[in-house]
Amino acid sequence: MTRVTDDIIIRAVARILIPFIQLYALYVIMHGHHSPGGGFQGGVIMGASFILYLLTHGLEEAKTRMSEIRAGVFSSFGLLVYSGIGLLCLILGSNYLDYGKLSTVLKVIPAQARSLGILGVEIGVGIAVMAVMFSIFFDISTGGILPEDEEDLGARDG
Amino acid sequence: MDNFFLLLGMALFTLVLLCLYRGVFGPGVLNRMAGICAIGTKTLVILLLMGFIYNRVEMFIDISMVYAFLNFVGTITAAKYLEIKGEA
Repeated sequence: MTRVTDDIIIRAVARILIPFIQLYALYVIMHGHHSPGGGFQGGVIMGASFILYLLTHGLEEAKTRMSEIRAGVFSSFGLLVYSGIGLLCLILGSNYLDYGKLSTVLKVIPAQARSLGILGVEIGVGIAVMAVMFSIFFDISTGGILPEDEEDLGARDG
Repeated sequence: MDNFFLLLGMALFTLVLLCLYRGVFGPGVLNRMAGICAIGTKTLVILLLMGFIYNRVEMFIDISMVYAFLNFVGTITAAKYLEIKGEA
């Protein structure tokens, strides 16, 4: 599944499509208040664009864009954004993820602070979901065994 | 106009059922794959027709674009799997 194949049409189509797909994913995350979508859906679209890149360009080239380590860092970072905003509300003296109190930090009215807080949480969820989607596909398609691991094992046996 | 869209949607739904038959009982993997891809495109059009009926086209266009993209990725994945593993 992660092998490179010489299908020029698929590669060209993916190269043209992927930037627009990622732009659309950002639109779904940012516009989640007014239309269907939000953090999870936008993250899934963003993760699917990376999966498309891995399918069309092979494992080696995809690892220069999004490696497994980077996916782990991104998923942790997204969770940190989500729980950080929640804990910030807790520290400021309201309930967990009660964004109204963020108005004292952001220097805006409470209604605007709620909107911005939800947006920040959705960005965090989007990053985490994107990384986890890619990580799941990565683990399943490689069976958890990466090519350099096989080389290492061979060197150790020899 | 709503009745026209409704009839169009019902006709497409009948075609989806025919494709589903091909997807479930179709001889061989390739027939199943073609049937399921056809279901994906028909579902996209049905979603847009629903948008016209409910007067919320701009909302349903978002959903249908995501559906089209995921259908595309699914088709490529299935095709690549068949290319590597051979027709089972």
